[in-house]
Amino acid sequence: MAPRIGIAGIGHCRFGNSSDYDLVDVIAYSANDALYDAGGLALRKQVDQVFVGNMAGGMFNHVTSAASALVSRMDMEPCPAELIENGPASGASAIKMGYMAIAAGMADVVLVAAGEVMRSVSGWEATNIVATMSHTEAEYNMGLTLPGFAGMFTRLYMEKYGMTERDLALVAVKDHANGALNKYAHVQLPVTIEAIADGPEANIVNNYIAEPLRMYSTCPITDGSAAVILVNMDSPKAKLFTKKPIMRIAGIGSATDTHCVHNRKDPLVLDAVRLSSQMAYKMAGIGPKDISFAELHDAFVIFELLNSEECGFFERGKSFIGVRNHETDIGGRIPINPSGGLKAKGHPVGATGVSQVVELVRQLRGEAEEGRQVKDPKYGMAVNFGGFGNNVITTIVAKD
Amino acid sequence: MIDFSVYDEQFPHISGWKCQKCGTIYYPAPMLCKKCDSRRDPTTGKGWEEFNLEGPCKLLTWTRVWNLPEGFNRKFLMFGMVEFPNGLRASGRLEAEGDPVIGSTLTASVIEADERPGKPVKVFLFS
Repeated sequence: MAPRIGIAGIGHCRFGNSSDYDLVDVIAYSANDALYDAGGLALRKQVDQVFVGNMAGGMFNHVTSAASALVSRMDMEPCPAELIENGPASGASAIKMGYMAIAAGMADVVLVAAGEVMRSVSGWEATNIVATMSHTEAEYNMGLTLPGFAGMFTRLYMEKYGMTERDLALVAVKDHANGALNKYAHVQLPVTIEAIADGPEANIVNNYIAEPLRMYSTCPITDGSAAVILVNMDSPKAKLFTKKPIMRIAGIGSATDTHCVHNRKDPLVLDAVRLSSQMAYKMAGIGPKDISFAELHDAFVIFELLNSEECGFFERGKSFIGVRNHETDIGGRIPINPSGGLKAKGHPVGATGVSQVVELVRQLRGEAEEGRQVKDPKYGMAVNFGGFGNNVITTIVAKD
Repeated sequence: MIDFSVYDEQFPHISGWKCQKCGTIYYPAPMLCKKCDSRRDPTTGKGWEEFNLEGPCKLLTWTRVWNLPEGFNRKFLMFGMVEFPNGLRASGRLEAEGDPVIGSTLTASVIEADERPGKPVKVFLFS
């Protein structure tokens, strides 16, 4: 039987523009933050394994082997360290690897740190680098980008279910209201529905990116890092981590889907999200109704809607009705993206999965800022995408 | 030993692939047949039939992208996803006046594009 595995420390920097700083320093900051949160920097000597999540440091920053650099930067040699790359799900994959290392008996304490510095290149180049995760011959070479796919995907959903562009804007308004209260968020400004959808200048403020997606349907290009300390709660080392209550990882699920989006039987169905969430529910012994709040990968707001359906929070084609009815607000039936999500908090691709789990822990501890703290949460869920929904990791964290 | 050497083509085309053992068709090229497990050697194509993917197709969805990646010195580009009569689907560039109608019949052709550094690449153009 696998041991109970929990999160004893969390670290996070303010997301935004870190392009003047070294990628490894940015990651190390959050790693130190997590050690401090867990009880002190001296605990780094108790770490048995380091996993670093990063998608494209080689292309964005000309930095490779970031895990080897991190242990040296943090005076942690000879601790084993590996880099985990799974596109924008690198962070959640690194946590999964940490969980597996403890479950396998190869470690009792694992530092998972993840980061990305994307603004070191132009927005055009960043869009191009992110697009390299698509199929080279059949997608990337065509000139297609992730916003392009999301635009086609959104149009299909609108045609099939009757969602409007205003419904997309309502998701952004909700996410930015939450992000405005999050000290770690890249964009800490609320937006109004008048400014981005109803008002006379909405077309200028909220211009098209990939029709029908507009600027406020799309996450910003963001730098940042996040880190967690995973601990075998049944090991003697767990007694060293008493500063904060340990939040248990109740379930992890992951699944893949076709690399080419056009090869999916129904391009609107995100099989990997549904399967990974079902795996996580099964491992945790719970269902969608038990989840107190969720952090869903909304690089484009259509993903927040689709993910909330695939995870079982809404029937297919009904999630935008739930947003209209404020069911996903902080005080709603199922608060979604209380952090502001990728939309407002930002999406430093390799860091996002860890950042989502840091938010789960903050909410479960009751440490979120006033106005965006979910009331008495028991289970938090995070869904992290790699690629265009073709490699998904779902993590459920519990407050026992 | 496998030899990945390639030589310039006379005209641009994009291939679909048919497994000669069971008849299943694919785009893009697979490395094995998911129906009968036949292996495809990407250099010889032995056991597989290659055919040009072009001609009439049905538009499934589309977008007009205004933030193109580096190298694309244009105001916008349109992209679409289509389905061919044989059931294969593809994504590529779209050329249309105004807003195209989902479900309309288009014609797929192949052009060479050179916006990005390196060798020109083959690109679907749906018009």
